[in-house]
Amino acid sequence: MRAYVEFAKKAFQNNIAYRADYVAGVINAIVMIFVNICIWKAIYEDEQTVDGVQFKILITYVVISFLMQCIYAMDEYHIEYKVRSGAIGLDLLKPMSFSGYIFSYNIGILVFRVVMQLIPALIVSIVLFKMYPPFSLSMAIYFLISTILGYLVLYNLNFIVWISSFWFYWTFSLVTIKDAAVMILSGALLPLWFMPQALVDFINLTPFASIYYVPITIYLGQVPMEEIALVMAKQLIWALGLFIAGKLLWKTALKKLVVQGG
Amino acid sequence: MPLIEVNNLVKDYKLNVRKKGLLGSIHSLLVPEYKMKRAVDNISFSINKGEMVGFIGPNGAGKSTTVKMLTGILVPTSGQISIGGLSPHRDRRKNAMRLGVVFGQRTQLWWDLPAIDTFELLRYIYKIPEKIYRQNMNLFNDLLEINEFMSQPVRQLSLGQRMRADIAAALLHNPEIIFFDEPTIGLDVIAKEKVREFIRYINREKGTTMLFTTHDMQDIEKTCRRMIIIDEGTTIYDGTVEHIKESYGTSRTLVADFPEVIHSIDIPGVEVIEEKGRKKWLRFQKDEVQVSNLIYELTQKYGIIDLTVQEPEIEGIIREIYQGGIKIDESLCRVC
Repeated sequence: MRAYVEFAKKAFQNNIAYRADYVAGVINAIVMIFVNICIWKAIYEDEQTVDGVQFKILITYVVISFLMQCIYAMDEYHIEYKVRSGAIGLDLLKPMSFSGYIFSYNIGILVFRVVMQLIPALIVSIVLFKMYPPFSLSMAIYFLISTILGYLVLYNLNFIVWISSFWFYWTFSLVTIKDAAVMILSGALLPLWFMPQALVDFINLTPFASIYYVPITIYLGQVPMEEIALVMAKQLIWALGLFIAGKLLWKTALKKLVVQGG
Repeated sequence: MPLIEVNNLVKDYKLNVRKKGLLGSIHSLLVPEYKMKRAVDNISFSINKGEMVGFIGPNGAGKSTTVKMLTGILVPTSGQISIGGLSPHRDRRKNAMRLGVVFGQRTQLWWDLPAIDTFELLRYIYKIPEKIYRQNMNLFNDLLEINEFMSQPVRQLSLGQRMRADIAAALLHNPEIIFFDEPTIGLDVIAKEKVREFIRYINREKGTTMLFTTHDMQDIEKTCRRMIIIDEGTTIYDGTVEHIKESYGTSRTLVADFPEVIHSIDIPGVEVIEEKGRKKWLRFQKDEVQVSNLIYELTQKYGIIDLTVQEPEIEGIIREIYQGGIKIDESLCRVC
């Protein structure tokens, strides 16, 4: 167990080493929020509501979504690089769980992003964009739990895409497609309220809504108290389901592993 | 019971056959064709605790594939491997606890961080008790002098330093078995000697079982008694280094410097293989021609200013085996 804590620490250390990248990350998050708010402002013009949605609620939605994207970012090509360079062989020679290692590595990145990027971006957002606070204290707590579950759903989905590099070696296209699907279907860019009912029905059959839409609507107090347990259970089931699928894929990948070079 | 037992090991690779040209590559994209290649073909051997075994063979002979299967990172197509009763790929993590692996061509050290950070990390990965960790670090510093560069980022180390750190890292958890994959590649003569000396010391003091794959015959001669030669996926020799020398190194070369240029030498069983001015290289079989008689005869006939007798180097013998000049007798396999 101690080893995995150390992996996370090393990932944190590695990230901190690149100072320019860090500053750029914070600025990028703020600029992205700003640009999106401008777009929505143009859509709303002088209207108070569009489709019955208040402008300020939408602003809050956008800010929360981008702050979440900022901490949900993971190292998408870590496994691919290891597979292609053959460095994975060295990892497999260690008495450790490879998926455990990858997870703790990403947790290290997550902690780095929460501490070093989320906090400054959050302060700037509160001052600059005047978003709503969480609907209530209990909703704030549910929001935190739901965000963690959302992270786990996204992580396990990503893991499946990363592991596919054992077959494809290059996963750039796959990662891009996955990113696009997540951005659109999870409500990260456009709240699901504005989407046609047929599409929303489809999205409800996929894990995507669990990633962004569920935590944000909990934050906004749009999920009734009695439904909270249900939506979170759904998140948990998706996280577990994808985790099991990833595990099975990893087992198959290990069997077909051909270490490159050396 | 031997520590490592390998029985009828086979590994097939599926290779993607790509056709030539633009049309060919489109064809390959739409209708991929595969070809099976047998990299390891029915290899069996066993190794006892504390043995040092050299694994040699030309490039692409199947050495690395065999070693990868032994470490559990490649799954055999068929056949059994048992390392102290465990199957390497099925019990990968348990097996990894008892293994140490050194790759001459890649490093297991964290590239951007000081070497000491990797050592600290390994301590947790292998759950090494504090006392053993200290002991080993002191030992490695005494023998490999690693402390002088431990706090530098690994990317700034010279190859010799990096190799020493890598070897120390692989041995930190007192593994029972160590695999060395070309441990001295690219090192200078002194660094090579240092590494070999360290390896011998560890084998003697800790009774560690060691397997080498290398192209440097000096590595084998200076560390191992036993060697296994692999070619085209099969074992062609498994025995001592001396034995192969005795069996195939029967020719001798006499280099003689004569007082004047001699045009032809006619002694039965002696062949002139090279000449340069007054110097001649004469090859003969040691059991056909007695060297004392030959020298006597040459002195009588032509007079000799200077002479040396050369034994064939193990390297030369191996080269001939690879080129097919020497066919190894069936009976020579598994002599020990």
